[in-house]
Amino acid sequence: MKSIASILIISAGLMAQLACSSSSGETAQTSRPANSKKIGVLLVNHGSRSATWRQALLALEENVKDSLVGYGKIHGTKTAFMEYNEPSIATRLKEFDAEGYTDVIIVPIFLTVSSHSFDDIPTIIGKKEDPQSLETLKIEKIERYTPQAATQIAPLLDFSGMLKENILRRALQLSKEPQKEGLVMIAYGDATYMKEWSALLHDVGAYVKQHSAIDAYSFGWCGHVAHYNPDSTTVAIKRVFTQKEKALVVPVLVAHDEMFQVKIIGDGIAKTGKRQQDVAYVADSILPDKNIERWVIRIAREHADKLVNNSQAQLP
Amino acid sequence: MSKKLSGRIRRLNIITHRDAGYFFSSLIIIYSLSGIALNHVDEWNPDFIIEKKEIQVPSGYLTNQLTPELITEFSKRAGEEKFKVYDIPSENRVKIYYDNASLFIDLQTGEGLYEKIKRRPVFYQSNVLHRNSLKGWKWVSDIFGGFLIIISITGLFVLKGKNGITGRGKWFIVAGFLLPIIALILHELS
Repeated sequence: MKSIASILIISAGLMAQLACSSSSGETAQTSRPANSKKIGVLLVNHGSRSATWRQALLALEENVKDSLVGYGKIHGTKTAFMEYNEPSIATRLKEFDAEGYTDVIIVPIFLTVSSHSFDDIPTIIGKKEDPQSLETLKIEKIERYTPQAATQIAPLLDFSGMLKENILRRALQLSKEPQKEGLVMIAYGDATYMKEWSALLHDVGAYVKQHSAIDAYSFGWCGHVAHYNPDSTTVAIKRVFTQKEKALVVPVLVAHDEMFQVKIIGDGIAKTGKRQQDVAYVADSILPDKNIERWVIRIAREHADKLVNNSQAQLP
Repeated sequence: MSKKLSGRIRRLNIITHRDAGYFFSSLIIIYSLSGIALNHVDEWNPDFIIEKKEIQVPSGYLTNQLTPELITEFSKRAGEEKFKVYDIPSENRVKIYYDNASLFIDLQTGEGLYEKIKRRPVFYQSNVLHRNSLKGWKWVSDIFGGFLIIISITGLFVLKGKNGITGRGKWFIVAGFLLPIIALILHELS
């Protein structure tokens, strides 16, 4: 009986300790030389439980690092995961501060506008206080941190137009008889920005039509907006089957995540029943793509140029 | 086993079941409530009450015509006197931020969606614990999980006789065990 009482007391003590613990408020203080810029580039991605997914994003940084640092105006690069994994955005910004960076260029590796890119990232870095983001970040234990370094957020991937080329290339790799085939794009989606996501995929579909003999397309969702359900994939494939004999399924997802490319999209294809033999599918992703690496390099350099030029213009 | 030892084990079992049950009763209720709430996450928002209101503002503005005065004017239509900041997510759309609320306007059509967020009482707090959103809570959660197993096992041996585990109890145990087994068989067959 004493032992039970001890366990209960320990449990209560543990809870009391939790109640008394305060959140860590790390603030790195570093001296900055006057009128000198130390610029860093932070590649921010969504984050995933999939190690394959994370590796693709780490490889992206690895592939652009030398070109960015070798440029002379950028002093360091880092990658941060917005959700699920460390290093988080806050962790990385603290590191930049501790290393004395004056400016951090944040390059979001996100396809198009979403609550993450438009509200969550700016809220995490202290540039916005979106009420829903604030509450969600708290629940998901995503730390907010306003860095001492000035931050700039670069535009999203869809601004570059390279997504069209990426999807065209991957569709053509799957294609055998383009006249008989239709393209099915499966993307994450976003309930708030459905209009923008749909416009993006219509744009990409139209581009594929224009630059190949694949003249039919449809799209579906696999993210939160579809409740991570394969049905949207199945519906999109069936829509193409009303016009074409075969479907080329291309995931419009940044990197490979087993849950999305294998489970959700794979199940969606399986649900077409006997017609799955008419589906061509490779569980690939937008990355790796040399064009995206070139875009990251270009966009980061452009921002660094502006920062340095502005800084020089302000010199007495 | 001597009768004396058997009696002591039985007494320890009952005490463990009773006291652990008392101690964890609140957590059992909290986790059960939250479990039901989170089960239906696709049908409702278990954490927040989001009050939505559709408003109409004059249409046809371009994003480069937006001024703080115009944003204040839009805000008043949603019942907000002061805005914190506004931002443009895409062509023809603006989002205005307030304390615990936001207003999304399609400038082309003038249609606006005002959303005010409030924590759902009881459920929000239950979900924070259930999802381990509190730093370090997973250890409490692990201990709680361990004790649930202990409470269940000790519960099997509280009663003796025709209502105990050797009596009708065994049939209830089998029936309860069949439920997940049937579900898993159906899952494998599907």
